[in-house]
Amino acid sequence: MPPRTGRDLLHRWERNPILTLDDVPFRCNTVFNCTPVKADGRYIMLVRVEGLQGYSVFALARSGDGLHFEVDRKPVMTPALEGPWALWEENGIEDPRITRIDGVYYVMYTACSRYGHYIALARTEDFQHYERMGVVSGPGNKDGVLFPEKINGLYARLDRPFGNGVGSIWVSYSPDLIHWGRSERAFPPRARYWDSYRIGASCPPIRTDRGWLEIYHGVKMTSAGPIYRAGAAMLDLDNPAKLLGRSLIPLLSPREEYERIGDVGNVVFASGAVVEDDGEVKLYYGAADTSICVATGPLELFIESCFAGEEAGDGARAK
Amino acid sequence: MPIRADNDIIVRSPHNPLINIHDIPGRCSDIWNAGVVRVGAEHLLLLTVESLEGRSGIYKAHSYNGTHFTVEDRPLMSPDDSPSPYESLSIRDPRITFLDDCYYVVYLAESEMGLRLAMARTRDFQSVERLGCVTQPDVKNGALFPAKFDGSYALLERPNAANSIWMSFSADLAFWGTPRVVMAPRGGYWDSDRIGAAAPPIAIEEGWLLLYYGEKITSAGPLVRLGAAVLDRQEPWKVLHRSNIPILSPREKYERVGDIPNVIFSCGALLSEDGELRVYYGASDSCICMGAVPVEEVVAICKNGRAF
Repeated sequence: MPPRTGRDLLHRWERNPILTLDDVPFRCNTVFNCTPVKADGRYIMLVRVEGLQGYSVFALARSGDGLHFEVDRKPVMTPALEGPWALWEENGIEDPRITRIDGVYYVMYTACSRYGHYIALARTEDFQHYERMGVVSGPGNKDGVLFPEKINGLYARLDRPFGNGVGSIWVSYSPDLIHWGRSERAFPPRARYWDSYRIGASCPPIRTDRGWLEIYHGVKMTSAGPIYRAGAAMLDLDNPAKLLGRSLIPLLSPREEYERIGDVGNVVFASGAVVEDDGEVKLYYGAADTSICVATGPLELFIESCFAGEEAGDGARAK
Repeated sequence: MPIRADNDIIVRSPHNPLINIHDIPGRCSDIWNAGVVRVGAEHLLLLTVESLEGRSGIYKAHSYNGTHFTVEDRPLMSPDDSPSPYESLSIRDPRITFLDDCYYVVYLAESEMGLRLAMARTRDFQSVERLGCVTQPDVKNGALFPAKFDGSYALLERPNAANSIWMSFSADLAFWGTPRVVMAPRGGYWDSDRIGAAAPPIAIEEGWLLLYYGEKITSAGPLVRLGAAVLDRQEPWKVLHRSNIPILSPREKYERVGDIPNVIFSCGALLSEDGELRVYYGASDSCICMGAVPVEEVVAICKNGRAF
């Protein structure tokens, strides 16, 4: 009898994890949070690789089917060594998220220095060369994701500053991707729920008929440490600070050994999704900060989960 | 015989505290930090008054000699007259900057969503136009430079996550970017744990005089003192000189005893034409005080502030 995978809404690929450090052609500690892009039928993924020395870099992985990836022989983006960026990134670069706007791929990522971590932005057209554009937040901010189109004439992003010490998801706007403002809180953690301790944006928002679908991560703190799960929220298309719906139950929770055991156990950290032509979503996630996995479900399920009641959790279960 | 100024560079006014809780027309809990500006013959203070229920608003006080102030009986700005959900609990710590024929007030907006810097603008201190929040949470100690740099406004800020002084730039006061670190705490010094801008920067011959507060955390809580630095005139993120020693430390009873003891916290200072620097400061979060010193003495301390 096959082992039960629990009661998660999403379906894990049977051959998870799809990337581990054994798949990385250079020596490293772990490979985890990643950001996929599908273009011309092929998949490209920037992956965060933590080196043995302790800080992270980005490597490029390629695939024909979105499930079997090969990692390039060398990292494509490493912390800057010269100029002001050398200070901004002195402790590494982490958690890239790619958004395509008008044919340009923008990489929002976390830069780490002695002053903390903040959101930085780079752009690329070929995934080989990355032009750093600017540090776009103050320190103490991360999980920045860019919307794939302008909203009311302005670029928009979600991020995760700490307000009153609580990590919530906020929206900010920019005329030029460099200067940001009009920040508003979109939604906070929920007491009693799986996302009670803090939350953060996971995937760049996906436009749907019902609004912006935001797949986010929610953290519950326990006596043994945090549990990271993936959930979904729906934001208003014209005013993404307005929350329209939010999944009461997680889409995916750590249950498998590769999600339970690793450098940071009990972590499912979604960071990118590909919506296939048939409406199936491939959700990529870092598992236990140690490997990369994929889970799937129909886009409708993600959308419905934002509006379903608590009792609907079972009924909305993926096939 | 006058009281010795002890080891402080700034000489306290004999009229200290200038404003205490009995000078407020209504009931209140605390008086906090005040911004200051001179308009004609008048000194205006914007002070933070915390109500007994624990929320704070900004009150105006005026004076013709800079030491004897009359506090208005209604707040100039308060959470109750704000349309912003980000000001629902408190607004406080106003810092006033004169720029482009306007007085800009940068203040702290507090709600259950966090602490953010907000900005307002006025020409007459009668009607105030709120410009909204200019940072994300949690950021405190905002001060606008009284000049633009390459056409951009420049804002000093203290992101809580970094405990250090940063600055950001904006062409329109709405969208801010290109953040930079200006100064960070110094291990082993009086400002070892946390620093933030005090008064808005003041133009001096050598560049910008930045008064800042520095905190040292002790087993009984923080010691908050006032220090000074000189920033480059054209590139103000460059620190030219920084005082090794504080220029004012809590010593008097009104600085030692209060709701938050051992706090000297300035939000405004005035430089007179004859070179006298007048620093207005909140003491123990319970009263407003003033101290003065020739500005060249402060600059000298920045350049060569030996401890012994």
